[in-house]
Amino acid sequence: MADRGLSQILAQLKQSPQMSYPEASALLSKAKLILLSLNALTPTPSTPSNLLALARETYEQGALFSIRAKNADAFTRYVQQLQPFYELPSATLPPNLPERNRVTGLSLLLLLTQGRYAEFHSELESLANRDGGGADVEGDRYLGYPVRLERWLMEGSYDRVWKAMKSSEVPCDEYSVFSEILKNQIRSEIASSSERAYPSLPISSTKSLLFLNSEGDVIQFAKHRGWLVKEGHIYFPNTAAEGSEDGVYVKDMSQMIMENTLGYARELETIV
Amino acid sequence: MPSKTPHNNAAKDGDDSMTVVVPPSKSSKQPAPSTDAEGDVAMDVDKTEEEKVDPAVQAVADIKANFALLDRAVALFDARFSLRALRSISLIRKHLSPDVIAQAIADTFPATSASGSIAKSLLAAVGREDVALGRAAGAEMEVDSDAKAAKNGTSKKEVKEIIPEIDVFLGILVQVYLFDAKKYQQGADFSKYLSDRIQTLNRRTLDCLSAKVYFYFSLFCEYIVPLPPSPESPIVAIRPTLLAVLRTAVLRKDTDTQASVIVLLLRNYLLTSHIKQADLLVSHTQFPENAANNQVARFLYYLGRIRAIQLRYTEAHEHLTAATRKAPSSGCAVGFSQTATKLLLVVELLMGDIPDRATFRQPSLEDALHPYFLLVRAVRVGNLEDFETTIADNADIFKRDGTYTLILRLRQNVIKTGIRMMSLSYSRISLRDICIRLHLGSEESAEYIVAKAIRDGVIEATLDREKGFMKSKEVGDVYATREPGEAFHDRIRACLALHDESVKAMRFPMNQHRLELKNAQEAREREREMAKEIQEGDLDDDDLGGDLDGM
Repeated sequence: MADRGLSQILAQLKQSPQMSYPEASALLSKAKLILLSLNALTPTPSTPSNLLALARETYEQGALFSIRAKNADAFTRYVQQLQPFYELPSATLPPNLPERNRVTGLSLLLLLTQGRYAEFHSELESLANRDGGGADVEGDRYLGYPVRLERWLMEGSYDRVWKAMKSSEVPCDEYSVFSEILKNQIRSEIASSSERAYPSLPISSTKSLLFLNSEGDVIQFAKHRGWLVKEGHIYFPNTAAEGSEDGVYVKDMSQMIMENTLGYARELETIV
Repeated sequence: MPSKTPHNNAAKDGDDSMTVVVPPSKSSKQPAPSTDAEGDVAMDVDKTEEEKVDPAVQAVADIKANFALLDRAVALFDARFSLRALRSISLIRKHLSPDVIAQAIADTFPATSASGSIAKSLLAAVGREDVALGRAAGAEMEVDSDAKAAKNGTSKKEVKEIIPEIDVFLGILVQVYLFDAKKYQQGADFSKYLSDRIQTLNRRTLDCLSAKVYFYFSLFCEYIVPLPPSPESPIVAIRPTLLAVLRTAVLRKDTDTQASVIVLLLRNYLLTSHIKQADLLVSHTQFPENAANNQVARFLYYLGRIRAIQLRYTEAHEHLTAATRKAPSSGCAVGFSQTATKLLLVVELLMGDIPDRATFRQPSLEDALHPYFLLVRAVRVGNLEDFETTIADNADIFKRDGTYTLILRLRQNVIKTGIRMMSLSYSRISLRDICIRLHLGSEESAEYIVAKAIRDGVIEATLDREKGFMKSKEVGDVYATREPGEAFHDRIRACLALHDESVKAMRFPMNQHRLELKNAQEAREREREMAKEIQEGDLDDDDLGGDLDGM
């Protein structure tokens, strides 16, 4: 009886992905209550497999809805709840690969935008070994996307990242939620490397460099970063900072050498 | 406590040479003709075959020889004797068969003893339930060994009850046999029984034995289908057991079991790629400081692996270097040092260093490291094309080694090295040329990549956007920086640490200082006497010299 109600809610959720978040979360909490009454919130050995599938679907829908509402915390919670279901052997619960990869890919992207690279790679490692190591992570539509993005970000091919965020390349709607965050992230990356790499930049080409829309935006961005704008060029204020650093550096070094030498003397004393 | 102890591997531990009188015969297969204690035991078992000793009989004798060690370990409360018994397993291993084990059991356990049921279950595990316990030979042996014990002054007259150490030792032998015979399921069941039994016993002298038991338990589970990394593998199911064992071990301050179980758990998690759990385990436990060297090496390797996956390369490098250095240098652990070196090489590459060429020349590593050699070559030159083909050619090997995902991260390093090479060779180069040489997608990509390299401090250069070229700065003198000083400091610190460790690793025999105190006391008394005699004036120089020598 109860599981029929659950499947109805799920069908409702699946049919209208545009549903507003409060509405969806009301339905989701109802679904979770039913799961609780069926004792299927977490998988136990005695839970029948059709219930397991329903529970998994509930969480997956919950994850998708919360990412559409840009609620990262709720999304993370759903992903955590899904983990035990994904760990189940395929005999108990036949895996639903597209959905699983979609959610996992999203969680990878979330880790990436939050700069949690260590967790990103831990997750990636376990993906590579999932299903007996035969899984083709890079070839997958959903999983390959964050993996490629990470690689490009690391090597610095920002233009490729930019292109990948164009709507045609994004595997599904939910992924574009992260585009805005990523855009800002790569813009600040580019800005910080430009500061070191160029002595000066003409405003006109900075526009394309930073993927900004107009020269006005460029000037605003330059002000925001504290750059000097003179005669159609941008200058980076960095020479002054280096001079004062040098003095500290020399002082540091001689002090370090003295400390080290004293340390050796002390150690030698204990040995001899 | 000097005595004639039958054992085969005194050569391995020089630290207890004071207990050894009989020169050790290294090979157990060809025993010296029955003059030393080893032969004695063999004779007791089977007097008719005195001349040409059957390997099986010899094996039984060897097994029993270890019981004396275990007895001593318990009597003296010194784990070193048990360790020695454990080390001899590798020698006995070749001759293990159900019959040998069954005979050893039958000879050891008297039929009427309370521990009869234990013996029965040991026999059942090797499929020899029908062997009767406490046979005539066994009784005879006991008498003889008693006589021997009396002769040697260890004075343990009657072996009434078999100590648990001996039956656990026999259990380990059964495990070894089952493992070698590839009876994994049976082995796992037996190990389960054995570990349950160990948990009911609380004896410090069992510690190193029980560590071994858990080791084989986990090994059996690894080999049962479905093999890891499948989540259905039995290794997932034994995690709660191992964690419980770890808790008990920590409470009992049982460092042997603690170290070995932590290592087992880490291995367990990493086999199923549960990096997060492994990391949590490391952060919530404290690896015992005075653990056995081999366990430390393993622990450091797994730790290095976790850190490498988490992009903490500096830590990973530190741990892995220590692991490779702690690995036994003799041929018995080639596999470990190969695996650790492979991982170390990849981590070094990821840090932007180029590994020493000498590493690849070591005979024991040369073949295994060949794919990595190709990889290093590609990275060193900064040739992206070579790099891609090397990965494609050796993908299977890298996947098997578990370094594949790490190696994929190297792509950016290859590019960086390429850019560095170019910045060193040209004072000015157009972005277009960089793009063509490094096979990058487009000029814009090249520009961003170079800009990032400049920011990350890989090269010293500036970009000119209007004209589209990269201009290298003059390379400074390395000796004017703090770099040489730091390298020097690092080395000195390593030497000092080595010195400290060696001082800490020195072992002194127990109660030796009391002896010295006594000597000192005597010396003082003698001095006082001498002083008195000198005062009395009846002591000449010759006497004085002689006395001092006698001290």
